[in-house]
Amino acid sequence: MTQTLTFLGLESSCDDTAAAVVRQRDGGPAEILSSIVYGQTDLHSSFGGVVPEIAARAHAEKLDTCVRDALTQAHLSLDDLDAVAVTAGPGLIGGVMSGVMCAKGIAAARNLPLVGVNHLAGHALTPRLTDGIDYPYLMLLVSGGHCQFLIARGPELFTRLGGTIDDAPGEAFDKTARLLGLPQPGGPSVQAEAEMGDPDRFRFPRPLLDRPDCNLSFSGLKTALMRMRDQIIETQGGLTRRDRADLCAGFQAAIVETLVKKTQRALDLYLAEAPGRPTLAVAGGVAANTEIRKGLMQLCATSGTDFLAPPLALCTDNAAMIAYAGLERFRAGARDGMDLIARPRWPLDKTSPALIGSGKKGAKA
Amino acid sequence: MPSDHMTVKPLILAFDTSAAHCAAALLRGHDIVSQRLEPMARGQAERLMPLLEEVLAEGGASYGDLQAIGVGIGPGNFTGIRISVSAARGLALGLDLPAIGVSSLDAQAFGQTGTVISSLDARRDHLYLQIADGAPGLYTPDSLPPLPQDDRPICIGHMADDIAGRCGGIVASPRYATAEAIARVAASRLGQPDLPAPAPLYLREADAAPSHDTPPALLDA
Repeated sequence: MTQTLTFLGLESSCDDTAAAVVRQRDGGPAEILSSIVYGQTDLHSSFGGVVPEIAARAHAEKLDTCVRDALTQAHLSLDDLDAVAVTAGPGLIGGVMSGVMCAKGIAAARNLPLVGVNHLAGHALTPRLTDGIDYPYLMLLVSGGHCQFLIARGPELFTRLGGTIDDAPGEAFDKTARLLGLPQPGGPSVQAEAEMGDPDRFRFPRPLLDRPDCNLSFSGLKTALMRMRDQIIETQGGLTRRDRADLCAGFQAAIVETLVKKTQRALDLYLAEAPGRPTLAVAGGVAANTEIRKGLMQLCATSGTDFLAPPLALCTDNAAMIAYAGLERFRAGARDGMDLIARPRWPLDKTSPALIGSGKKGAKA
Repeated sequence: MPSDHMTVKPLILAFDTSAAHCAAALLRGHDIVSQRLEPMARGQAERLMPLLEEVLAEGGASYGDLQAIGVGIGPGNFTGIRISVSAARGLALGLDLPAIGVSSLDAQAFGQTGTVISSLDARRDHLYLQIADGAPGLYTPDSLPPLPQDDRPICIGHMADDIAGRCGGIVASPRYATAEAIARVAASRLGQPDLPAPAPLYLREADAAPSHDTPPALLDA
């Protein structure tokens, strides 16, 4: 059965308010008709991180405008939609809830089906949205909030091979930027400094590399950087530009080596399954880092694995990925009711043991 | 939609989740068709839309019959306010109808004659307070704004006894249940041009502390 589907997607799980329209003919490539992202970086910059209540306040008053803009950009009206897909978790619950309620309002008003989407599935399915690749593929999701290796086997079937047991690398980049007086977000500003620095002058730890699994840890790296910085300040009363660039270069080298070595392990596990066309795909804002990309591409080249990095705008948070993931769920028969729950915690892989935040409330992501 | 809503009785769906409840009312002209109030401390996000469908069905109506949405914008529970405001904005977009935001302070003061002092518990030893059509604010019991002393104001809400004692006022109860009051206030504003999209009325800053990381001195800046 050939069925062209046009989906509206909404995303508001962190600090980006996003709406998008995606269309797909059954069996054909998906087409992004529009993708609008309103960032909130300015609102949070003085707090050194995303403040959940501030994020939620901004989402609540921007989502509907964002949807209007997405429809306008797509030259479509609500009449042209077949369903509404919305991020229903995991993430900052205030924002997720606003998105879910706005989506429910639109769906109820137009009598459209509603599909709740796992934000991580949105990222993990992006290689299919952009390049139409087949399952199973290996996914490295690496952002300000997440870091995990997944084998994507179907729209709702993922195996997590490992991930961070504490912070995400994006958090470590942001913290480094704050400690060194560089602008937020830390990823681009630390990378720019690192390009001018000597990666060998300061040696930072490579956490968990001594363990054979695919798990990572980044919180110790932050502390190591702070100690190193404080030592320099103590001896000379401040930092030189050279010091700052060298600290960034050393820090980035540690992140790159750790990620690449752990990716090697994840790749070995994945390749052992003899996938038809081996592919490693990345998503998340940290995947924009050119050194990380370089390391991963080299790794793939040595094992005959395709390396796929979607365009940056689709690596970071957006609603096109949510519309697309909703579309895949919908084609597989998924529908949600008006009682759809917004979930702060929602692991993609329900069977692998939790890595972080696994208290009585269960795994976080 | 009829151009003159006075000739056809407008149908308004109003709802509120700004406190520990899910409340909804359907108003046709001056008459309440159906309304519900379900006390609940949590779960409003899951319950609200099914409740709205029930209230509509009870009134023999559907979303397509509405002329406007009325929504409670607080002050109150931040998350609760956002649940309703976000739903109202989505409905308004989907139905191409106005959504009219009504504050809890206005809602509980509605239908009284004379000057009303409307107050709500803001927790942490604070209260939200509004005098007549003045700007609502966040106060402690010891730092209330100047209260009208001459015209025996009607005091409704949190600490109304205390407030009435300070200004020679008369304590009263809200005339309407929350959702009904919101619907009636929304109806009274329906003809107004350029109604703004409903926005939460927080009256309290977000809890957020500025970053403690102080950047190091650059020696060769």
